[in-house]
Amino acid sequence: MNEKIETKGQHTEQGKGHFLDLKLPIGWLLSAYGVLLGIYGLVTDKEMYQKSLGFNLNLSWGVLMLLIGAGFLLAAFLKKDKERARPQ
Amino acid sequence: MASVITLNAVDYTVIAGYILVMILVGYSLKKYMKTGEDFFLSGRSLPSWITGLAFLSANLGALEVIGMVANSAKYGIATIHFYWVGAIPAMVFLGIFMMPFYYGSRVKTVPEYLKLRYNEATRGLNAISFAIMTVLMSGISLYAMALLFKLMLGWSLTGSILFAAVVVLLYVFWGGLSSSIYNEVIQFFLIWLGLLPIVFLGLKDVGGFAGFAAKLKEPLLHSVKYLGTSNNPLGVDWFGVVMGLGFVLSFGYWTTDFLVVQRALASKNLNAARMTPIIASFPKMLVPVIVVIPGLVALLVLPEFSQAGLPATEYNSALILLMKHYLPNGILGLAITALLASFMSGMAGNVTAFNTIWTYDIYGSYIKKGKPDSHYLKMGKYATVFGVAVSVGTAYIVQSFPNLMDYMQLVFSFFNAPLFATFLLGMFWAGATAWGGFFGLLVGILTAAGHYILFKAGVLHYASDMAANFYQAWWAWLADFVVTIGVSLFTKKRDPAELKGLVFGLTPRTKAAARWLARPEVWGTLAVIIAVILNVIFW
Repeated sequence: MNEKIETKGQHTEQGKGHFLDLKLPIGWLLSAYGVLLGIYGLVTDKEMYQKSLGFNLNLSWGVLMLLIGAGFLLAAFLKKDKERARPQ
Repeated sequence: MASVITLNAVDYTVIAGYILVMILVGYSLKKYMKTGEDFFLSGRSLPSWITGLAFLSANLGALEVIGMVANSAKYGIATIHFYWVGAIPAMVFLGIFMMPFYYGSRVKTVPEYLKLRYNEATRGLNAISFAIMTVLMSGISLYAMALLFKLMLGWSLTGSILFAAVVVLLYVFWGGLSSSIYNEVIQFFLIWLGLLPIVFLGLKDVGGFAGFAAKLKEPLLHSVKYLGTSNNPLGVDWFGVVMGLGFVLSFGYWTTDFLVVQRALASKNLNAARMTPIIASFPKMLVPVIVVIPGLVALLVLPEFSQAGLPATEYNSALILLMKHYLPNGILGLAITALLASFMSGMAGNVTAFNTIWTYDIYGSYIKKGKPDSHYLKMGKYATVFGVAVSVGTAYIVQSFPNLMDYMQLVFSFFNAPLFATFLLGMFWAGATAWGGFFGLLVGILTAAGHYILFKAGVLHYASDMAANFYQAWWAWLADFVVTIGVSLFTKKRDPAELKGLVFGLTPRTKAAARWLARPEVWGTLAVIIAVILNVIFW
């Protein structure tokens, strides 16, 4: 049992052990939220943003989330590329 | 009754997007769950940034967030004691000093450590009480969630309970601890993204920190200045805060509660396990930004909070009323999703901790020993279904008898208070004997219960219920500490060879990680230094 865990540990050190790259779902979810809220912010009019002190919160926060989400996706894809480049 | 907040189609799309991602993540993990260790401990394979954020989020439940915003409205800046005094030192201590024994001894659960260090009886006492508490807590928070969504959004009570239970059941059944941890990490990002808009708008609205200073009463603005006596908003003096909250309650929770420790045990190696709570301590220091500031803003901008002498429960609506006050539809859906996510991940965390303790420490130790791994994996899945079912049942029982909730939380506090003494002596004093550990723990629990009875009977007096709670923890800890030492002096010592890897001094020192930047000691020290500086700034 212990030996098996050890080998698994070593796999992880090489960057492919754990089950699923969590950067992907986080990246997709936040990007999708960013796009949805950003578009909603573009099509809604000013009156709606009186309560948020005049800020078009959907647009600005949507853009921010899109950037964060894209950052996660980029990190995930770069990591995948690096793994592919590594000689087997 | 009309609901406080009205959601539109965009808000519901945001909520649905989160649910969909959680179910997909759970489903995609299904094929990896081949052994018990995969299901209960994520195959001990996760990197420390994931376990670290999950470690933090496991504690950052929706009730915690709502409650801390309420506390900030009630007690002001002093609420930061729950973070900078009541969490950071314990998290760093766990990472630097205790994790080598938890992870290094390769135990699967916290009660299993108690068995190796003390005896079967000590493990049994801890495992059974923890399993019962965890599954009931899960039911309590399920009910609290449903009640909140009913009052605020007009959702049906039964609908919320069953919906949340089914989603949690699905993804924990498929992905075990990994599902739970991944959900917590996603929740971590959602809660910041969902609540920061309130912080920005609130600060701008009241004129920043200068606005607080100009408009709020002086005692609400200081964390330490008025702690000399119990004559401050908390109603607790410095000894209660430092020893009760900062030492006993905080160390007891962060270093022995399996719900959080389980996240570190899922790490891929010892260094990652030790880094887990230390990585978590940095965002933990920042959590007051999203709870204390909204609490103070609520006092200044919400008409509901302007009149003096509010009933205590009203404070709990502060966060939701702020959402209604500042957030337009769209972002509003994001904030509600953040709350929903922290409710569901809280429940998932409880269910995964329960199924692990049940399978390894109760079923696998007392009911069916020595079965093949696949048998326990299957039992873990049944336990998940059972845990969710009991949570739903508890939620309905609590609904009919709301007072029951307070009683349950009260009883839980008896069991949690003394635990840290048992672990501290176990890990750092080789002379603590098997029965010393057991009787120390038992007397500690009884002391907490006895203290409570004396307080309620009017024999003991405190300035506030919170002070009583902090002092109860302190006396329970002391009783456990003294009795464990006392009994140990008269009972048979354990053979030192058996304690290798379990006790400080009998364990070879862990090799320092090659790069100093990867060392837990370096980051832990940094965390403590920053926490001290923060405390001084908000003195």
